[in-house]
Amino acid sequence: MLVKSKAVKFFLVLVFVLAVSSASFAAEKIIKIGTIFPHTGPAAVSGQNCVAAVETAVEFINNKYDWEGFPLAQKEGLLDGYKIVLVNADHQGKPDIAKSEAERLYEEEGVFAIIGCYNSSSSKPASAVAERLEKIFMCGASSSAELTERGFNYFFRTAATDAIESAEFGEYIEHLNKEKGTNLTTLGLIYENSEFGKHAADEGKKVAAKMGINVVADIPFTVGATNMDSEIQTLKAANPDVVFGAALGGDYSLMVRTMKQSNWASKIFINYCTGYQNPAINKELGADSSYYMGGMGYSPEIAEVYMKAALPAQEIYRAKTGFPLDSDSIQETVCLHVLAQAIEKAGVLNTEKVVEILRTETFDSPLSLSGKVAFAPGGQNSKAFTVITQLLDLKYRTVFPASYADSELIYPFPAWDKR
Amino acid sequence: MDFFVQVLIDGLMNGAIYGLVAAGLSLIWGVMDVINFAHGEFLMVAMYTCYWIGMLVGLDPLFSWVLTGAFLFFLSAGSYKFIVRRSIGKAAMAPLLATFGLSIFLKNFCLNRFTPNFRLLSGTSLEGKVTHIFGAIVSQPKLVTAIFSLVMLCVLHYMIKKTRIGRAIQATAMDREAAELMGVDTERIFTLVFGIGGMCVGIAGGFMTSYLAVFPEVGALFSLIAFVVVALGGFGSIPGALCAALLIGLVESFAGFYIAPVMKYVAVFALYLAVVLVRPKGLFGW
Repeated sequence: MLVKSKAVKFFLVLVFVLAVSSASFAAEKIIKIGTIFPHTGPAAVSGQNCVAAVETAVEFINNKYDWEGFPLAQKEGLLDGYKIVLVNADHQGKPDIAKSEAERLYEEEGVFAIIGCYNSSSSKPASAVAERLEKIFMCGASSSAELTERGFNYFFRTAATDAIESAEFGEYIEHLNKEKGTNLTTLGLIYENSEFGKHAADEGKKVAAKMGINVVADIPFTVGATNMDSEIQTLKAANPDVVFGAALGGDYSLMVRTMKQSNWASKIFINYCTGYQNPAINKELGADSSYYMGGMGYSPEIAEVYMKAALPAQEIYRAKTGFPLDSDSIQETVCLHVLAQAIEKAGVLNTEKVVEILRTETFDSPLSLSGKVAFAPGGQNSKAFTVITQLLDLKYRTVFPASYADSELIYPFPAWDKR
Repeated sequence: MDFFVQVLIDGLMNGAIYGLVAAGLSLIWGVMDVINFAHGEFLMVAMYTCYWIGMLVGLDPLFSWVLTGAFLFFLSAGSYKFIVRRSIGKAAMAPLLATFGLSIFLKNFCLNRFTPNFRLLSGTSLEGKVTHIFGAIVSQPKLVTAIFSLVMLCVLHYMIKKTRIGRAIQATAMDREAAELMGVDTERIFTLVFGIGGMCVGIAGGFMTSYLAVFPEVGALFSLIAFVVVALGGFGSIPGALCAALLIGLVESFAGFYIAPVMKYVAVFALYLAVVLVRPKGLFGW
């Protein structure tokens, strides 16, 4: 009898607690935003940085900061007091998981929009789910040009594509040949055998064909390879003047170390969105990371001169990760910042109204090098802009275009055994 | 000619390293008929152990391999005692699933503790040093790892073939009940075999830290290749594992250079399929 009475009391308390908590949830003004990034798997280091970058945006949108010229920072929350709450998911670098997580986040968690997925191969199926469900998908650092060539209505990407970067690399080679007499005539491509790598290489080949540069080495490699001996020996045998690289994380560090071990380097080595942009990887590589180059939409050095308004946001990010914002992850911060501005301008949480504003308006973006974001049909940020940098002693030195350049290119890449 | 020698030496060095990574797996599989799915994660743990010893104590991988080998011996033997042993004799898939669970635990534990960051041990005594052999540039850290792998495999083979404990291991592998009737404590043998398996991969991982980045996924492709080495060489055969590993290293290297780099793993797995079709017990299996 006593046990029965205790059980009844326990049940009543439980009902009361549940009722109170559900009432408080109902009263809370929240906007659920989903994120899908690789928290685990080969690209986990970049994925976790992307999550921290989105959390950085949540921090300055939900709270009040005295930042001049920074939309939404001086206000607490969105609309009339709505706060953003993130629902995070891990796609492990696997496209099928990205797709099922997108379905779960939209249909079960009821998120208003999703930000993701870092890997182009995962962004592709996840954004197809968004398009089918007529929900917003914001894409930051996935650089495959094909993503914005599908004519989607609910897909928006803030970063420059590998097509934009390839064109800039080509322009720079032309500039070097013309102005410095470098006579760079052959190209090698080394890239991971994935959606991202293959598209980057395709864009590189298009630019080479347009410029009359001869592609002498075309080397896809397996992600997470046990060694890169064959890949680097093949490059060495072809000995191209220029190499375009698309190797992420551990593959990037293995590639750099194998190049050093082989005592070979091309005259210049330019990277797409890769390990080059990751300060943590370069710190581990130390002096070996120097003289490599890459396209970047952000670096702490660039921010000091051209994006001062971004520096306080960088400190929030640094507190989370221990590193400054990098060129890839900052795009995820921009995604949420732009989406939040669109929601604020719409004045209501209505997908169609927010999409209409995303399609038609231009947004202030202190976290973007151009300072603006505007989406062309298909969802590509027409204001996306990158510069070419060269790493020296863990500092990104801008070498192109001339209007942004703060340093002269160190040319050619110094021989490893003569450093 | 320069490239031929370079490709040959690269292949042999990689093969020797695969050999040591696979030796422990071969032993466990051959003696106990248990597939250790956590083998790649043991390699990863060994590399983290060596990395942290290097970072915190400043001990070079040339010496810390002793500690990583010992640590992995106890980790592996402990895994057998507390996890695998309890699953043997239950459902057919139970030991396999137990080691699979262990692999997920180890990977996520390291991911959680050490973040997914790629860590390179810098300032080691062999860092960046190379040797020139017939015109080929040979990385000293890799060369030392390869030579030590060969030495370790010889020691392991001698121990199994010539020592009393080795004969007990062979007897247990051939017929557990008969071995018990002859007074062999098979439970101790199993623990020892698991420990030795872990020790081999621990030593390999310890040396590999001197030239390879450490991160939670580092063991994935190594373990896959180790499975191929074991199946190709014959279950439980150390000379078989060595020959298969060298063959795989050479096939990978030559296919990667003379056909296309993207074909190097395709060639390895094609070779494996061919051998499985022609000789399912492997090159040296019984």
